Amino acid sequence: MQYSQKVLDHFMKPHNVGKLKNPDGQATEGSPACGDQVSIDIIVNEKTHIIEEIKFQSYGCASNIATGSIITEMAKGKTIEEAKNIGWKEAAEELDGLPPVKMHCSVLAVDTLRNAIKDYELKHGLAEADKFSKEMIVEELKKVIYPQVGEDIVSLKMVKYVGFENGVAIIDVDIPSFDTYRDNVAEEIEEHLEKFPEIKEVKITM
Amino acid sequence: MIYLTNCRTSQPAPEAIEAMLPYLKEKFYFPGNFIKSGTEAKQDLEKFQNVISTSINANSTEIHFTNSGTSANNIAIKGYISANATRGTHIIVSVIDYPDLLANAAFFENSGFSVTYISADRDGFINLEELKDAIQTDTIFFMTTLGNHTTGTIQPLKKIREILDSADHKIAMHVDACEAYGRIPIDVNELGIDLMSISAHKIHGPQGVGALYQRKGIKIGQVNHGVSRIDNHETGGISMASIAGFSKAVELISANFDEYSQKIRDLSNYLLEQIEAKISHTMLNGPRGEKRAPHNINISFDFIEGEAITVMLDFYDIAVATGSACASQGLKANYIMMALGRTHEQSHGSIKFTLSRYNTFEEIDITVEKLAEIVQELRRRSPLYNEEN
Repeated sequence: MQYSQKVLDHFMKPHNVGKLKNPDGQATEGSPACGDQVSIDIIVNEKTHIIEEIKFQSYGCASNIATGSIITEMAKGKTIEEAKNIGWKEAAEELDGLPPVKMHCSVLAVDTLRNAIKDYELKHGLAEADKFSKEMIVEELKKVIYPQVGEDIVSLKMVKYVGFENGVAIIDVDIPSFDTYRDNVAEEIEEHLEKFPEIKEVKITM
Repeated sequence: MIYLTNCRTSQPAPEAIEAMLPYLKEKFYFPGNFIKSGTEAKQDLEKFQNVISTSINANSTEIHFTNSGTSANNIAIKGYISANATRGTHIIVSVIDYPDLLANAAFFENSGFSVTYISADRDGFINLEELKDAIQTDTIFFMTTLGNHTTGTIQPLKKIREILDSADHKIAMHVDACEAYGRIPIDVNELGIDLMSISAHKIHGPQGVGALYQRKGIKIGQVNHGVSRIDNHETGGISMASIAGFSKAVELISANFDEYSQKIRDLSNYLLEQIEAKISHTMLNGPRGEKRAPHNINISFDFIEGEAITVMLDFYDIAVATGSACASQGLKANYIMMALGRTHEQSHGSIKFTLSRYNTFEEIDITVEKLAEIVQELRRRSPLYNEEN
């Protein structure tokens, strides 16, 4: 397994590193405990809704830094609608691919960008805060990547059941007991669902 | 390449490679009886056993060559426990031991044996009080890693032996010494070791060969079945060339032990001293001084992640290892760092340097210079770091 030359280029000389003074939108996703965290600041033209300035910071591995660099490059100069539509596979392709085990870095970078845009939209009355529902849990599970193949666990049909009742989210995942990534998948699910204050407890069965 | 990951594998000594060549060319025979090709190989094998046994104050008949250190661990653990299961079914190991030991403990646990996992303190020394309390009437086996592969911690085997001997029945002690052997003196009699695994490729011998020390009188069952070329422990064909290279690597170390181990310790001390002087917000993992294997320096760098450090150092042809989840097989934080009470960040930000006698002070200077630049640059990129830190 090795990084593409483009990943290494963006890692060694990343674009748009830093913070912005008085950003219009800001988001920080991931956590140091999980080994990766990304922050994105954006400045958006109020009339055109074009992202005029964008900066990122990353605590993470080489691919985490490279995806932060590429996602900010891709979003710069785009309208917020265009930028929201950048997908994690597209970002990975822009880097000439990522090893499957590193695909979650692209998901994290895209998620952070979308949340920075959301932050801007909320502050400017362009969107309303999402109302929590079971569907949002499923959407969040689409961000959990099975590292063996670099696809999300929902697309891979590994998620057999999603339930939510009285603050308890119940997730049933089909993954063998000997799977190297079993603990990682469980940790990733918990980390992704932590952001919902409505969820008091996550019960994962495997 | 500045190679600072000798715990993974080490550069074979030129003399060891040279010693292998006759066994790849004209002396390609397996040991045997009655005909010259076999008897000569057998004599050579006994000579090699003697070199290894002398280095640990054992007898040559107590040395069994294996295909690796891991194979030696499996033969020792599975062999001893299976042969002694009628005496008891309780095993003791620590949570910070080498994966070979923990995987075998899990294997026996799944097979109906009971296992006590004892903890370790912040520097990686196993908890001796817990060990005392863990001993039961049916305890038959204790195993540990002499020089911890992550923190370099040297376990106090003499004290451990005394504790094991306080039981009113025999508890065998198996030691994985692959990290420590050739770097610290090991006397199997003084330390009371019953079984011990060592490996050639970590001490400038060839890859694909290890050895098991089995104290006379310690019975182990057969683990590998099939044709016997050397003995019934590692069955099947075994490389005489690799054994010859292993033996030569040990000869070199034995002849220059004090000089080599002092050089490695001086290099390690210099590396640690330079990093602590030139880079802020660092923490040494494992003990300082004589209780640490001389080749190991493990340091956590705050606010940044280890895989990024290793990839950037690799750009400058400097090879090191990290405890970061991002570089691990299962994307998990290093189990030893976590067991020693480190935070996830300290585990993810840890870098392990393992040195050899082939490293130089100049290489250390270059490494620290590049490392200081890299740490500064990655901290500039990190949302966890600000100048006030």
